[in-house]
Amino acid sequence: MTDLLNYIGLGIMAVLNGPALFEIGGIGLPVALVMLAAGLFTGIAVGATPGLAGPMAMAISLPLLISAFGFTPDALLPVFAFLIGIMKGATLGGAVPAILFNLPGTPDAMMTTLDGHPMARNGQPRRALRIAQLSSVAGDSFSDIVLFVCAPFLAVVVESYLDLPEKTALLILSISFIAAVMGASVGKGLLSVGLGLIVAYIASGNDLTPRLTMGFDALDAGVPLIAAILGVLIVGEIFATLETLWRNNRALDVKTETHGTAQDGLAPGDLKRITPVVVRGALIGTVIGALPGVGSTLAATLSYSLGARRARRIAGAQPFGSGAPEGIAATEAANSAVSGANLIPVLSLGIPGNAAAVFLILAADSIGGFNPGPAVFAMPEGETNPQLVVAFGIFTLMAIGNLLNWTVGGAVMRSMSVLARVPATRLLPVVLLVSLTAIYVQETSMFAVWATLAFGVLGYGMRRLAVPVLPFVIAFILAGPLERSAREAFSATGADPWFLFSSPTSVILLLMAVAALIFLGRDG
Amino acid sequence: MTHFFKPLLAAATLCATAITTPTATLADEWTPPGPITMYVGFAAGGGADTQARLIAQGLEEKFGWTVIPQQAPGNSGLNLAAELAKAPADGTAIGMVVSETLSYSSQAAGDPAFDYENFTSLATTAEFQLGLVAMANGNFDSWDKVMGAAEAGTPIRFAAASDRHADMAWHLGQQVGIDFNIVEVRGGKGVMDGLRGGDVDIGWVAGAQSGPVQQGEMVNIARGIESPLANSPDAPMITELGSDYLLDGYFMFIAPGDLDPAAREALGEAIRDVAEDSETDANGLLSKAFGGPAVRTGDDLDSYMTKANAEAAELIKAVSE
Repeated sequence: MTDLLNYIGLGIMAVLNGPALFEIGGIGLPVALVMLAAGLFTGIAVGATPGLAGPMAMAISLPLLISAFGFTPDALLPVFAFLIGIMKGATLGGAVPAILFNLPGTPDAMMTTLDGHPMARNGQPRRALRIAQLSSVAGDSFSDIVLFVCAPFLAVVVESYLDLPEKTALLILSISFIAAVMGASVGKGLLSVGLGLIVAYIASGNDLTPRLTMGFDALDAGVPLIAAILGVLIVGEIFATLETLWRNNRALDVKTETHGTAQDGLAPGDLKRITPVVVRGALIGTVIGALPGVGSTLAATLSYSLGARRARRIAGAQPFGSGAPEGIAATEAANSAVSGANLIPVLSLGIPGNAAAVFLILAADSIGGFNPGPAVFAMPEGETNPQLVVAFGIFTLMAIGNLLNWTVGGAVMRSMSVLARVPATRLLPVVLLVSLTAIYVQETSMFAVWATLAFGVLGYGMRRLAVPVLPFVIAFILAGPLERSAREAFSATGADPWFLFSSPTSVILLLMAVAALIFLGRDG
Repeated sequence: MTHFFKPLLAAATLCATAITTPTATLADEWTPPGPITMYVGFAAGGGADTQARLIAQGLEEKFGWTVIPQQAPGNSGLNLAAELAKAPADGTAIGMVVSETLSYSSQAAGDPAFDYENFTSLATTAEFQLGLVAMANGNFDSWDKVMGAAEAGTPIRFAAASDRHADMAWHLGQQVGIDFNIVEVRGGKGVMDGLRGGDVDIGWVAGAQSGPVQQGEMVNIARGIESPLANSPDAPMITELGSDYLLDGYFMFIAPGDLDPAAREALGEAIRDVAEDSETDANGLLSKAFGGPAVRTGDDLDSYMTKANAEAAELIKAVSE
């Protein structure tokens, strides 16, 4: 117990006692805190800009952050601080254009438009924004607390109860689950996962001659990680959106404008009204967020429709869709609660569940010195585990991020409404250019740029054929651990080809994988 | 007064160096033509990886060079060698491996491209503190318990971080009559993570175990080197247990073949400077976890590599019979 408290203390100190970026009145501002605040404000701005989303900003800033902070373990916390800031800010900022202009700034703010915009049109935009802020931050904080408690616990359980064959089976289960729950159909999910695995297996493995390169020397070192991920996730999205804009003749332009009236702001009794809704939304978001691959949009939809059903049953309650504060609260609490819980499988098992988590893993991978997985939470006797200090540093940053969101987040949110007017036709080419430059900065090879564009075309094609892209990226990341644990399990069992069926736990995990594919799939 | 003497002193030192060691000026004049990519042949976050990164940090601080560490783990360091073979031989690409990468592993791979003469050895940093490690107070915390478990028919999972380590595990098993389940993992850190998680039972670790051993978490149940281990002087030598060979070697930096001699000397001496300077973090780590710095450069290093290659040929012959 004292060990744990020590680590928590070390984590907090790692953030607060880090190198100072600059001094104000003789007090140094730790670089990690400055980066957190910068990331948070960037995130709110990005969320408030329709067409931009948190993962996009994380993708672009990651290579730039790495070239600024370098590859030493000291770089971990400042880089994570900025990325976590974006992640937290973007969930908050997404509500701004949703409420003011009926345009969701991020996909998961879709449901916020339903009640947020009517309230704003009724002359209370500030009240709507304030309710969105409070619910979003409450949901986020709740889910972070669950993360702080559950991640170490889960990691310890996994490490002490799962042997090598079971770890392999767990990875198979995660990949199958992601294939089953994301996208239009199981078949398309599996297709996406299969593509991700094949690409990741190019030139990896234990052979000295790189495999699957088809004679291309440029592929000898494998596909650059950042090129594949950014290409499919970001560049593909840009291509697809540009095409949509071109076809619809810029249909994404701002429609309605709203102006506040005299009695705008939080109304008396609002807090009491939204509290139960926020609690329910936070719970739904946290549970859904902890499952890899199930997104915040589902959490928001579920929480909103549950709330709407209750509102219909209670006599005298304001119906959802007419500007009900409960409607905004239900959505915002749930979609924000996803972000913290999503990191539970990331930190404890190294399994990313959404795009934001993918970029946190990518950051850890590129910098080195921090490998998300059970080893992070090991507490070797006497010796300090630097990874655990980083983990508690991340928790500290998340807590401080929430504090900033509670306090100054609202004011920043309100000032961002102007961003909704930036036309996407101007914005997206700039984003594309910055992404490619950022990739060149990190990889310093034109091959990486071409590879990114090629994967962008792949991502575009997948979107047009309604094949989900996130399973591709997650399978790409998990391919290495999957092959490694399978190899190790094979040799540890004395070269038993049936090692996956060697224990009841591993058989149960495999059955769950099959069940996920059969029962969780939806028909396209 | 001091500011008057300083330039004089500097000039005097410079002259002295120039007179006594003429080649030193050659090396002094050499600066890397660009940022140095330092490939690290070990898994991120492990002891050897930390060592490489601290040396990189020391080179940046002491010499003002830009050094970018980049992971290139796997295949006992040969993945790194393959990467390095494609890099320019101008001092902007170096890599940290172990001496057996360019002796045992390159011979076992059978690809002449990996021959040690096709690379430039820069400097060693530390000698292996190689132990056969198990969790303290576990079922395998002494060699007798390992033998006992094997006799009782328990399969024993033996973690090895390189081909040579795996072959030595096999050789040791053959000599004592145990059929180990040999698991190849990534680095000493992989071995220790496996021990902690109960995925493996025993494994070779070349120095990174010293912290956990000092803290009583793990034990060295045997040693693979001639001299007694700093932390476990009583651990028996594996040759006493039945092995015909030892498992010694160095952590070392290499560069592509045909490196300019001035660059070779400058880089080698720079690494020596960082490793042996008690002010650097790298030296702190080497002293704490790797039994202190052990730097060999130039002809001395070349002669060691020749000897290591002769011994490796012998072991390969023995295990393939």
